[in-house]
Amino acid sequence: MSEMKNIVLAEDNSLLSLLLKLRLEKEGYKLLIAEDGKKAVELIEQHQPELILTDIMMPFISGLELISHVRNKLDSKTPIIVFSSAGQEEIVLKAFNLGATDFMSKPISPNELVTRIKRMLK
Amino acid sequence: MNAYHSFLDYLEETPTIIQVVWFSSVIFLLLILVLVLYLKYLRSHLRQNERIESVYNKKFESNLITYLYSGNEDEEITAEQLLIINRLKKNTADPFKRKVLISTLLKLRNEISGEMARSIQNLYIQTGLLNYAIAKLKSKNWELIAKGINELTQFHIKEVHDEIIQFINHPKNEVRKEVQLYSVNLFNFKGLSFLNIIETKLSEWDQIQLLEVLQKFGEQQTFDVKPWLQSSNDSVISFALKLTEIYNQFDAIEELIALLNYPDEKIRIEAIQVLNYFTIVEAKSILKDNFHSVREIEQIAVFKMMANVYELEDENFILENIVHPNFEIKLRALKILKDINIENFNINKQIVTNTEFHKIVNFIETN
Repeated sequence: MSEMKNIVLAEDNSLLSLLLKLRLEKEGYKLLIAEDGKKAVELIEQHQPELILTDIMMPFISGLELISHVRNKLDSKTPIIVFSSAGQEEIVLKAFNLGATDFMSKPISPNELVTRIKRMLK
Repeated sequence: MNAYHSFLDYLEETPTIIQVVWFSSVIFLLLILVLVLYLKYLRSHLRQNERIESVYNKKFESNLITYLYSGNEDEEITAEQLLIINRLKKNTADPFKRKVLISTLLKLRNEISGEMARSIQNLYIQTGLLNYAIAKLKSKNWELIAKGINELTQFHIKEVHDEIIQFINHPKNEVRKEVQLYSVNLFNFKGLSFLNIIETKLSEWDQIQLLEVLQKFGEQQTFDVKPWLQSSNDSVISFALKLTEIYNQFDAIEELIALLNYPDEKIRIEAIQVLNYFTIVEAKSILKDNFHSVREIEQIAVFKMMANVYELEDENFILENIVHPNFEIKLRALKILKDINIENFNINKQIVTNTEFHKIVNFIETN
């Protein structure tokens, strides 16, 4: 039996995190939840996930700082999907410049997220 | 006892002013004591409320997640979902629990889309929360009405449009603003139809908020801005002018030109700016005819437009204004003159003796 792929989710909305956790676990992924950017950095360094999902606005360390940390400090090529809200187009561009792989704008469709994750991790 | 008596004796012997000071000190001390105790009570009460809220939050979150994952593909209510609906329904009678439940639903409703979002909306209706929101619309308290409309907007309840639109001319701006946002958030550009009936002022802030919502729906939109450009409400015209420019409503040129003779100066200036954006040469003759009867602020707007649409035939009009008392008009007129007739520009350079005029000429020649 193949090992479950680790995904780190950096999201401060606990309810959304829980919903996505159940959805992704149903699809065979292990979701590690961080409620802020600082915790996300710790989880990434500890577990070396196959994929990172991050919100842009988060306490302590923002999504942009998280991407920068992964790409520059950890020198990791792990795919990163950024969750953005309406009106954050410029921040999304910054995220791409820093090395984000893809983005999804909120409100998120859990089904679409699963499709994208499957495509990225196949 | 001795100390107490000697203090009383001391008070009796002291001047009145000292007695007053002592008396007020005691009163203030008591007041501070009461306030500290009240603050302590308030803080513990709030903390207790927070704790209760957190407990209910967790309970409702768990119920919501179970509800969402108990659905079937046909989006019909399953037996397990019905059980959760009934359980939650019992909590809606209590205003505190109702508030927590609504905030739990919204916490997820604003973050996800698709069938789960529809499922949350359905839960909102099935638990009877919708009825409470509709009841708020019947309240005499304007704050409750505004809150009700806001809630219905967040849950995307389109079916109450007719009830909500009745508040479009409500005396309170907060209520009107919620109606506008409801209309546009849920019905996109069709929701702008409230502009046909609004009689009150649409503030600049209201307009910015509406434009921000509309921005979400993309730029390729079809809607008829013409009736709003002919509205009897100045703020509607002002908003329509913004829509005309942002969404390139080129069909409304005739209405835009008609606004050049509008009684309100602010509207005329905004219309000139939009006509300038579209570089409508046809507007020039009206602008030139009206030029001397309008204030300087509007004349500047005219010259800003002239800088983009000037032609050789405008030379006389330009010449009339190269010695205009306003610096900006003079500068723009001279720039245009230099472009359309350099000889005339040089001749006038010799004739006019004004120092400021020559400074502008020098600036134009060296830039």
